Amino acid sequence: MIYLDYSATTPVSYEVLDTISKVTKEFIGNANSIHSLGKKSADLLESATKQIADIFGVNASEIVYTSGATEANNMALIGVAMAHHKKGKHIIVSKLEHPSIYAICDYLKSIGFIIDYVNNDQEGLIDFDDLKNKVREDTILVSICAINSETGVRQPLKMIRQIIKKENIATIFHSDMTQAIGKVPVNFHDVDLASMSAHKIFGPKGIGFLYKSSMVKITPLIYGSGKSNELKPGTPPLPLIASLSKAVRLACKDLEKRERFIGLLNNKIVSFIEKYPNIKINKTKYSIPHILNISVMNVMPETLIHALEKYEIYVSTNTACASGEASVSVAAIYNDTKRSKHTIRISLSYITTTEEVNKFLSVFKEVYENLSTVR
Amino acid sequence: MKQIIIIKYGELSTKKDNINYFLSILKNNISNNINDIEHVITYDFGRMFIQVREEDIKKVTERLKFIFGIHEIIVGFISNDKELANIKENIIKLIKDKEFKTFKVVTKRSDKSYPMDSMEISKNIGGYILKNINNISVDVHNPELLVNIEIRKNEILYYFNGILGLGGYPVGTLGKGLLMLSGGIDSPVAGYLAIKRGVKLEAIYFESPPHTSEFAKDKVIKLSRILAKYNTTIKLHVINFTHIQEEILKNIPHDYLITIMRRMMYRISAIIAHNNKCNILVNGESIGQVASQTLTSMRVINEVVKMPVIRPVACFDKLEIIDLAKRVGTYEISTLPYEDCCTIFVPSHPVINPSIIKANEYEKLIPYKELIHEAIRGHEVLYIGIEEEKKFDDIL
Repeated sequence: MIYLDYSATTPVSYEVLDTISKVTKEFIGNANSIHSLGKKSADLLESATKQIADIFGVNASEIVYTSGATEANNMALIGVAMAHHKKGKHIIVSKLEHPSIYAICDYLKSIGFIIDYVNNDQEGLIDFDDLKNKVREDTILVSICAINSETGVRQPLKMIRQIIKKENIATIFHSDMTQAIGKVPVNFHDVDLASMSAHKIFGPKGIGFLYKSSMVKITPLIYGSGKSNELKPGTPPLPLIASLSKAVRLACKDLEKRERFIGLLNNKIVSFIEKYPNIKINKTKYSIPHILNISVMNVMPETLIHALEKYEIYVSTNTACASGEASVSVAAIYNDTKRSKHTIRISLSYITTTEEVNKFLSVFKEVYENLSTVR
Repeated sequence: MKQIIIIKYGELSTKKDNINYFLSILKNNISNNINDIEHVITYDFGRMFIQVREEDIKKVTERLKFIFGIHEIIVGFISNDKELANIKENIIKLIKDKEFKTFKVVTKRSDKSYPMDSMEISKNIGGYILKNINNISVDVHNPELLVNIEIRKNEILYYFNGILGLGGYPVGTLGKGLLMLSGGIDSPVAGYLAIKRGVKLEAIYFESPPHTSEFAKDKVIKLSRILAKYNTTIKLHVINFTHIQEEILKNIPHDYLITIMRRMMYRISAIIAHNNKCNILVNGESIGQVASQTLTSMRVINEVVKMPVIRPVACFDKLEIIDLAKRVGTYEISTLPYEDCCTIFVPSHPVINPSIIKANEYEKLIPYKELIHEAIRGHEVLYIGIEEEKKFDDIL
């Protein structure tokens, strides 16, 4: 099998799996209990959270566990909207967000919030002037992802933050960092809120976190008891949390070395594929190498995916959460409907081997050339 | 040019005959604190120099911020090139990105063979700076940027404004004390203030399981870990107080519970202090805060020990203590909601003006000498360092 869909999800690494099973077996106490079994669990919870906080240079109390990035995005956007609606109802998002952000925005719109979309340029970069013009006195929130999940375009969050805060110091800045963490260095101090998910970094599905700066107030979406966190009450899922912490630690080391290696693989694929005149490469100078998006103009992408699947090669059309639809991000960058309907996303990771890439290219050549003639 | 860390002493420099004693301890304290980093420390009566690898500079200056006896921490630059033209170039390179409107050049020349004297060098370089950087002027009284140049025998040292250190005396220069550490807000602050005056602290904690929980003990360990940042390590004596406390509860009239309990704690602390060569007891009592901290109570409680009891926060308001606790970094931990043995079994009406005679009488109702010996014999000693021991390495 050749798996090239790491941006949809990743397999759980053996080390992380080991943590899940060990913690499930050995830490049976509820971290909220006051007896020694509870304390043992609470200690592990504390160490796991501290490890994450230390890696990102923030306080442990600023990490709120969620079931994943979608929940973190909900917690952030709706939480800010509820807490700050008296100051304004204006929210800005980019045109390059994950579908979950748009779904939340639809809901917020239905209850009276105003959603504005900031433009981006031909390279996928946020249009700074447009952003500057759109931030108003009643703008309570700006949400811009760190890395677009379909094209891998990376945004300069620090600069974006400066623009937002210069226009309105009270505007809260959220970034969905799901595709960034574990791939490139991130700085939580560039934002007020950040979402992530463990299953993109070889951790288990069902756990993620929201980074919430202690300076920012948001309204909880869930109510209950337990001493761990007022935003996420209830019994903390310790096996998932410990494995998330381990996955973060393992994912955030050697980032540059890994990126360089993945860059080589990416270049290899690009230089092979760009010789086909009917394939457009949706890569800008801000794309990270982990995500390679192409538009196969003369073949239906679903057909190609299923054909590759026969050889146990797995790639995707666009982000898994919007499968079957045109790529919003490619449309936003290239303004070309056909191009956005024909996208294939090849996503690489540091465990991808040169051999796998070679095999993929040879199969791709055969399958694609065959499908091209069929048409 | 190589970077070098320079430390200025502040109050220490007022010590005359025994300044060497203070400085050698400061050097040791720094050396112990950064013993995981390769370093060379040299010093004279004016300042200390720490040489480390370039990539460690930041880490080391961060840690120096927690060491007492340091007035100022400066990152300076050292070069072998004593050619005036190159000195000028180097200075411009070093200051061109700094933000300042006024400056002053101070030159020291210990290498008397250097062809120009200090004044001439200062003037010359000051003029060069004025010519090369726009919109600045010289201010000899209150300059925003102080450009220091030292021409030494084999090298030249440049340095600018530094950051303030903690001040105080190097830990250990004044001997040892025993801190009565509860887990509340006051005692860690009292400990911090004692450390600041050069007292090397050990700490004593009274636990009362099952009336107090492991969480409460853990809290004290965490507080000790924060104090350890200032104190290098904390030797923590944990006394099991359950038996004594239960005997007191059973036999002593309830309005005297706290008075007698505190007297027992004082006695035990004094013995532990004596056995560990601590000259003083330190605690977080603050005048009038609770019933056991009225002047009469203090007198009745203090009466059972002969060694000095230092109460650094005795005259602080609660808000002042909280403020300091936040700065020291103990406040968040202190406010965790776990009961310690001073807060369990609090009588509804503790005596505010206890009498020594009564306290002595009541104590005869329990075999306290034996109980104290029993508690001391079984006491647990923990050495708390700055770094949390990694308990879950195999899991995380």
